[in-house]
Amino acid sequence: MSKRRLLHAAAVCALLAAAQASAHHSFTHFDRDTELVKTGTVVRWAFNNPHAYLYVNVEENGEVTLWSLEASSPTTLIERGITGSTFEPGDTVTFMFCPLRDGRPGGAIGWARLEDGTFVNPSEAGCWLREETLERWKVWLERGFKSNLEAQAAE
Amino acid sequence: MPLRDTRGRMLFAAVILAAPTMASAQFGDGYGPPLVPEPPPMEFESSEAHYRYLLEKANGGTKHTIETVPRWDGLWQTAGNTVMSNFVDAPGFTGKVREGVLTPEYEAAYKERWREQTELGQVQYDRLSHCEPQGYPRFLLEPYTHEFINLPHQVYQINDFANSIRRIYIDQEHKNIFGTHSWYGDTIGFWDGDKLITHTVDLLPADFTRWAPMTSNQFESVEIWELKKYPGGIERLEVQVTFYDKYAFVKPIHAVYAFRRATALEEAGYRVQHWECELTSNVYLEADGSTNMRLPGEEGFKDARGTTMFPHLPGQSRDPIYNTTLPTDRRDNDE
Repeated sequence: MSKRRLLHAAAVCALLAAAQASAHHSFTHFDRDTELVKTGTVVRWAFNNPHAYLYVNVEENGEVTLWSLEASSPTTLIERGITGSTFEPGDTVTFMFCPLRDGRPGGAIGWARLEDGTFVNPSEAGCWLREETLERWKVWLERGFKSNLEAQAAE
Repeated sequence: MPLRDTRGRMLFAAVILAAPTMASAQFGDGYGPPLVPEPPPMEFESSEAHYRYLLEKANGGTKHTIETVPRWDGLWQTAGNTVMSNFVDAPGFTGKVREGVLTPEYEAAYKERWREQTELGQVQYDRLSHCEPQGYPRFLLEPYTHEFINLPHQVYQINDFANSIRRIYIDQEHKNIFGTHSWYGDTIGFWDGDKLITHTVDLLPADFTRWAPMTSNQFESVEIWELKKYPGGIERLEVQVTFYDKYAFVKPIHAVYAFRRATALEEAGYRVQHWECELTSNVYLEADGSTNMRLPGEEGFKDARGTTMFPHLPGQSRDPIYNTTLPTDRRDNDE
């Protein structure tokens, strides 16, 4: 496919991608009011149905923790230009997520920033990413915030 | 070494974040003109009577050949439906449950489900989490992809959600040699020109979706499928459906469902793959009725890209391209 057709298709499908929320499970286990940001190394990008999962090793205070992040379904992600090779093992990725309510190292992913600085949207109903949310986060990232609650308190 | 889709990343990056991301109660609505339900011209005593009326009106139906049978080839995605307007008096998750549509028992059960959705923000648990099939009528609105294979004697309707297949037996009568009901029941049908008319019976109890009412083992339907074309090159496969359920509904209800061509997926090279729930879902039911998920290394975690039961043999990884591994014990990660 030509570059122009690919871009056109992406634009069209982005507009049509209206919220194919996978109906496979409820999202009660995610705290959708809290948004956290971490940076780590990709261990695995499991581009599987019914939900893709991003597994990332995050080093904090000298300890490495594996974080498990639920993303949308492959069909929805493909319509947003995300494929099975968007993240690869060893990549450095910064990601925003809505954490599990019980505090274990997992959550629903909101956005991810790739090594080249590109933001992608793998989100689903566990941590819906709206355009304004991302724009707000770009400002907060410049100011060094890693939590929406901290950022909102400081504003 | 896997190829990195750098071009794809860069090209799509500009548009993906503009994509609408709000949750939709109807799955993909907004494609083409508003959906208009077309209820049957009269009330029928049963789905059987409704189906026989349509068959008689079509003079026994159109006998298609392989050359003339309507073709709906390719990948399709859901494009909205009107079913929720039967049960709730406002769009989205803001309305109240309409009273007198469901029988008292089903209305009470649905009010609790709707309370969870509206007050708690989510129905607390979805039966699909423990890998129940979507079943029917949920088949009509599940996302992922659908395929419709029309042959003169039989129609196959496929949803890649856990790869379910619904079969419609053309110009035949119902059969049930199993002595029970099933997730997709028994569906017969006939062609009326380019329209496909179906009758479905012998279903297991299911639901319309997580935030919609439950259905009983007496749920039945009559469907009219038609491919419609609208200005702007819009093609929409529309299904006018009347649902019958003597246990759940006071009267039969009617809705229209739609599908649009999954052009973007096809252009991206998407091909349907087999997937099932048992190896890919780590969501489970908590003791308090809520939903949670297992993490790598925790007891019960299912690793869809792990190894088979024979890890000592070469080539037993289910992640043969990247060959990644996840912790098998939570302590591996904590230490």
